[in-house]
Formats: sequence, C-alpha cells, structure tokens
Amino acid sequence: MTRAAKYRLAALAAAGAAAWLLPYRLDMYAIHVVDVMLLFAILAVGLGLVMGIAGQINLAQIAFFGLGAYVTAILTTKAGLGFWTASALAIAATAVAGLTVGLPALRMQSHYLGIVTLGLALAFTNWTTNAQVAGGAEGISAIPAPPMFGVDLSSPYLFYYVELIVFALALAFGLFVVRTPLGRRMRAMRDDALAAGAVGAEVPMLRMTAFLMASVYGGAAGVLYAGLIRYVAPETFSIANMFLLLAMVIIGGRQNLLGCAVGAVALSLVRELLIDYPTYAQIGYGSIVVLTVVFAPTGLAGLPARIGAVLRRRRTADFPTLGEFTPYPAGPAATGDGPLLSVDGLSKQFRGVKALADVDITVPAGQIRGIVGPNGSGKTTLFNVVSGFYRPTTGRVLLDGEVVSGARPHRLAQMGIARTFQNLRLFGDLTVTDNILVALDRTRTTWIWRYLLWPVGVMRRDRALRAEAEEVLDRFGLCGYGPLRPKALPYGIQRRVEIARAMSRRPRLLLLDEPAAGLNGEEVRRLGEIVRSIRDSGVTVVIIEHNMGLVMSLCEHVTVLAGGAVIAEGTPSQVAVAPQVIEAYLGDSAMAHDIPQATPAETR
Amino acid sequence: MQLTIQTFIGGVSLGAVYALVAMGFSLVYRTMGLVNFAHGNVVMVGAYLVSTFYLTTRVPFAVAMIVAIAVTGLIGVIIERALRPLENKDFDLMLIGTIGFGIVLEALAILIWGATGQAVPSPVATAPIDVLGIRIRTYDLMVLGIAAAATVALMTFLQRTKRGAAMQAVAMDHEAATAVGIHVGRSNAIAFVIGAGLAALAGGLVGPMLYVSPAMGGTLGIKGFAGAILGGFGNIPGAILGGIAIGVLDSFSAGHFQGYSDLVTFVVFTAIIMIRPTGIFGETTVNRA
Repeated sequence: MTRAAKYRLAALAAAGAAAWLLPYRLDMYAIHVVDVMLLFAILAVGLGLVMGIAGQINLAQIAFFGLGAYVTAILTTKAGLGFWTASALAIAATAVAGLTVGLPALRMQSHYLGIVTLGLALAFTNWTTNAQVAGGAEGISAIPAPPMFGVDLSSPYLFYYVELIVFALALAFGLFVVRTPLGRRMRAMRDDALAAGAVGAEVPMLRMTAFLMASVYGGAAGVLYAGLIRYVAPETFSIANMFLLLAMVIIGGRQNLLGCAVGAVALSLVRELLIDYPTYAQIGYGSIVVLTVVFAPTGLAGLPARIGAVLRRRRTADFPTLGEFTPYPAGPAATGDGPLLSVDGLSKQFRGVKALADVDITVPAGQIRGIVGPNGSGKTTLFNVVSGFYRPTTGRVLLDGEVVSGARPHRLAQMGIARTFQNLRLFGDLTVTDNILVALDRTRTTWIWRYLLWPVGVMRRDRALRAEAEEVLDRFGLCGYGPLRPKALPYGIQRRVEIARAMSRRPRLLLLDEPAAGLNGEEVRRLGEIVRSIRDSGVTVVIIEHNMGLVMSLCEHVTVLAGGAVIAEGTPSQVAVAPQVIEAYLGDSAMAHDIPQATPAETR
Repeated sequence: MQLTIQTFIGGVSLGAVYALVAMGFSLVYRTMGLVNFAHGNVVMVGAYLVSTFYLTTRVPFAVAMIVAIAVTGLIGVIIERALRPLENKDFDLMLIGTIGFGIVLEALAILIWGATGQAVPSPVATAPIDVLGIRIRTYDLMVLGIAAAATVALMTFLQRTKRGAAMQAVAMDHEAATAVGIHVGRSNAIAFVIGAGLAALAGGLVGPMLYVSPAMGGTLGIKGFAGAILGGFGNIPGAILGGIAIGVLDSFSAGHFQGYSDLVTFVVFTAIIMIRPTGIFGETTVNRA
C-alpha cells in the first residue's frame, strides 16, 4: 500500500468514526438539522453525477426527490402498504420518471435541456398542489415511521444512522462509477459528445443512464425524507429549493462527487446559521454561485489543485520528452477480395448548398489513400458522412461490403471505423490516459449491469484496460504524459495523442483529418512513419492533408475533390500534373505553366 | 365558439407579454450565446419598479415605464459585466451564473418590496369594447400595440442601423467581428441592456394583468423562454410567434384544466420541442459544431 493510500484510509476511518459518534454530541434540534443535511448531500451527489460527470443539465432533481417522498406518502397512507414496500415502489416510480425526464436529453442539450427539465419540475409542483391524492397545498401527514427489526426509527438519532449508511453507499457507488469505465465514458461525453460517439461510446444510452442514476438518488432521498419528517408538502420541492441544491453542487464543485456532498453540508450549515434571515441567506448563496462560476469553476473541490498549481508555478514546469514511436508488428497482408471502403454515388446537401455531389471512391484494404482538394471542397464533409456524423442525402457507404451509411457514429466506431479531427477533439478535462482508456473500452453500454451485480468484474476489467493503456502510451512514445490534461500539452503532442486514441479502437479503417496541420518538419516525418506502420499492421488509412510533401511521399493513391465532386484520381505523380487539379488549385489553367517546376520538388 | 374566441384573445394578449420576454431572451442569446436564466427575475423587478412608481409617485404609466427600463438596463449591464470572463468559453457555467443572479434578484425584491405581492390597477379605465359579442379589454389592445411597436423598433434597430448590424456581425462570428474593429464587449452590453429593457417593458405591462409578486419572475421567465425556444431560439420573429403560441396554449389549458394548466402547458411544450428541437423557424445560433 502506498503512503497516499494509507493516509486516505486513515482519513476515511477518522471521518467514519466522527460521523458515527456525532449524534452523541447533538441535541434534538441539531440532529434533525443534520438529518436533513444528509438528505441534501445524497441529492447533491445524484445531481453531481448527472450534471458534473455526465454534463446533462438537470433542473428536475428536486422533483425526483419530491416524487420519491410523495409516492411513499401516498402508498403508505392511502393504499395502506408497509413503509419499505412503498419505498421500493417509490424508487421504481422515480426511476421511470428519471428515464422520462431524460428522454428530451436525447434530442437536445444544455439550455434546452435546462428549460425542459425546469418546466417538468414546475409541472410536478403544479400536480402536487392540485391533486386530491397528493393532499393539495396541505400535503400529506401521518406517514408511518419505517419499522426496522424493533428499532424505533421515529427517533431522529436512530434515523441518522440509516441515512448515514445510505449516504455512504450512495457516495461510494458514485465514486466507483466515476473512476471506472462507465464514469469515464460519461465524462468523455460531457467534454465532447461527438468525439465520444466517434470512440464508440453510446451517447444516448449514457445520457439515459445518467438520468436514471440521478433519479434513483433523488428517489432514495425522497423516501428517507418521508420516513424522517413523516409529512410532505409542495413547498419542500419548489424551484427555490432546486436552485439551492444547484448552488450546493456548484459551490462544492460539480465535477467532484465528494465536493458536491461537502457543498451540501456547507450550504446547509450556513442556511441554518442564517435561519432567521432567509432572504439574506438567499442573497449570500446566489452571490457565491456567481463568484464561483466566474473565479473558481471547479468549486471548493478544485481549490486544493488550484493552490497546488500556484505553488508549482514557481518551480520550472518541465514536460516529459516525447518518446519514439514503436512500430506495430506487421499484420496480415491485406486480402484482395473487394474494397474495404466504398463510397457509392454519395451526395450531401445542407439546405441549398451542395457539399458533396455524386462522389464515388473505392479504397482497397491495406491502402493509404490521400484525399486532397482546396478548402471547402467537401473533404471533411466526406469524413463526417463516412464516420456517421452526417446522414447522406443520397448514395451509400459500404465498409467491407456492408452498407453502413446512416448508422450512428458509435455503431460505426464499434464496426471498426476510427477517426481524428481537423481541430482536435480530445476530451479536455480527462487525462491523456483517460482519453486512451475511453477508446480502449469496447464493451456495449448494457455491460454496466455488472456495476450492480458484479462490481468485482468491473474492477478487473478496469485494471486490464489500464494495463492496455500503458502499452498504447508506450508504443506512441507518450509515457510521461499519461496523468496530464491534453489542454496543457503542446499541439504536436495533442495530435499524436489523438492518433493514439483512434488506434486504441483497433480499427479496420482509420480516417485522419489533416493530421499534419500545425506540425513542424520533423514531426511530419515522424507522422509519416507512424501512418506507414499503422498501415503495415493491417489497417486501411484514408488521410485528408494539405501538406503536399507528405501526401506525395505517403499515399499510394490520391483522390482530388473540388466543389464537392471527384475531379481526379490516381497516383500522386499522376494527379499532380492533371490540368483539372491545377485549375482547381490555382483557379485558372493559364497559370499552369508555373506548376511543372514545382511538382518534381514536391514528389521528391 | 364564442368562448373559444374569447379564450384565444385572452391568450394572445398574455402571449404578447411572453413574446416581449422571449424577444429579450433571443436577442441576448443570438448576440452572445448566453441564455439568461435571470431574465424572468429582471421582468419581475421591472414589474415592481413600474407598479411602485405608478402607484406611489402618481407619475403617468409611460414615465414609470421609462424609469423602470433605465433601472433594469443597469441591472443588465451589471450581469453582463460580471459574467464577461466566461463569454464564449463555458456555456453551461454562464447559464448557472445567471441562475445565481436570478436568486439574488429575487431575494433583493423580497427585501425591498416584501414577500407578499401587490395588485396594480389598469392604467386605462375605459370599459371593454364589444365586438360581435366578444369582449376585448382596452388594456389588452394597448398591450398588443406596445408589443408590436417594440418589435418593429427592435427589428429596425437590428437591420437598419450601424450598431444593429455590428451586433448581427458579433452574433455570427465574434472573432471576425473583433478583427474588423467591432467592440464585442460593448455590443454584448448593448444586447443585454436592450434585453433587460424589454424585460421591464414586459413586466410593466403584465403588472395590471397578473398579481405582482417576487415569485412571478420564475413562471414568466420560463414561459417566455419556452416561447423563444418554440419559435426557434435566437430568431426574433420566431420569438414573437412562439411567445403568443405559449400564451394561447396557457389560456386554453387554464380554461380546460384549471389548476393543472402549468402541468399541461409544460408537458405539451416538452412534447413539441422533442419533435422539433430547433423550434418552428429553426435556431439562429452562435454555436457551431
């Protein structure tokens, strides 16, 4: 056990002991305050999971809380069910509500999702204040105390321990998720949903999972609330309390579940201190939210790291040196039956603009194919169609003889298409290792049942992935960069990380979109070696590039696009002298006499 | 039939107010890509300012309105200034920041005006006009007229003036706009001031129709926002139609479902927006993939 792990274990034990002994020091009122505080902490962890980890704005968390409490209240008082039966049904009901509220997330994000979830939360409050069954504005009282093997849970002291256990489990499960494949995919999706799809993460399923988890956390807190207070009324679940909960998560640090819990505790305490001045308290926490988002977006949880960064700045920051790329072992020679990629009569129209017009491209297995053309000629659109970001207007794309056009990006990624992006789309808040790990994970989202039933399997899988990630980093000479964030790295290294990430998918087809952009001469030479080795391992490579030197030396076959159509195709030296290519680049064939001198130098 | 038309007209005049709120949302959004969740609270502050000046100082309604617009414009400047470091960086954080401002504004309103609301008498005291058995309140007509005038003025400003054109340029590409010498910060501040002014206008107009209270900002803001999204976010004509559509939807669901009107309105809104996420006219975004 390392020293840090020892300290962590000691801190955990101390926190546990303190939490266990806490009720002995508190009077009746204080223990009640602590009980409510713990409920908010559970809610905050749930909200942190969906908002901070999965990046889905959810302003209906308070409604999940309310639903859990109300369903428990209604089933125990009106239907005469036992408390725990009612609570199981209540959590099931919240889970269904969570999936329903999550549905809009499949179609819209950020502010749209914010307004829809807020609207649905208002709809819930509207229902509780009007529905007969929910007791209207008076709410429901006389909820029976939950029975537990003769322990009297109507005592807030004993109830505290029930809550403490639920909170500990909720936090532990949340942290477990965050640090293992599911949470990593969620964080990747938060940072860049498009790129997450391109590395095989099933974004729609992940969004639903996030809402499901948040709603179960909310429902559990609601059940406990019903058991603790034994009275429910609409104002507890108002929008004002939703914003208070949001403030807890933001101030605590939304991307850190422990921070969310700390934020909940801190804000609850402050609210308690200012209980006689609720309006001033409101001004206070509103202002702190504004200050937090502007000056400390990572919240309380991010403060240690920020202070650390300030202290470290005094010392010289030294980057690890970029290592050499270790070539892949030669793979099976390309088998000659049929092309790996064929693009068949492909057109793509954006409203009136025709970005691609009737494009036919056939790439045999094991080739390095260059795609060149002036800016705006449709090269990246072509990649976006092949990798599933756009649906073609007409035509189709076949991968190894199978029609794949129209499939979602994550499906195509699972089928063996990997890509890089012109403007780099690394997951900015994930470390380099995590970027690789997300791509290495080849499981489907349904794999996550293990989180509930076989956590040991999850841990084993995570360990195996980490070992694999070390190998990938090693191969690409990125050894020292693992724990760093891509944002902090020089541009050339980010480019290499992106190729490493794409190759972690072990693709059949690799699409590289301007991989040499922004690289210096030496870096371009190394890139050429890497791409050749990738091809030699049995991967077919299609590369969009403006660096003619690289195209000429690397590609066996070049396709030239202009104005959305293929205007020339052939070996590099053939297309370089084709008059229509020269015209497309220079706009006028009369200028063509300038070109022949340039071409031999380019081809080398 | 008569009842239907009556409900429709009631919905349109409330919808005109939502449309003003929606226009404020859309203008700020298209100029700087910011969704101002405090907008509803600015509307509420505007409503309080107008009603307070109108009731206590006995100045004409129009003067009270101008004062309110000036004060809320100042609030707009403050919000924009505070969140400027996040502009064009983190969308979600900025959104949460405006929620923080909303919380503060609501608390300030409670401090100044108290937690209970106040009723505002209609500034035009004539009897309703009777057209073919349908009664139309003169105040509703006035609201429609002012909303229409504000819309025309805003469109003219955006399309015919140099400053308006500069704001459109910022909306399309803030970096390119900077490169040709447009002061992006100032342009954003103007958008925010106009947005806040529209909010005060909406608040002032809605005062005599509803009850003015610190909590009114939430509902008005959300419905105005819903209107803006329904019409196509960032699209000014869309915002007007979307706002009116929400008003009519609201009015009918209040007629048919009484207390459950909010529930029905938001469920229907969610359903529509799921079918057409970009609204009726499509989004005019500043976000590009």
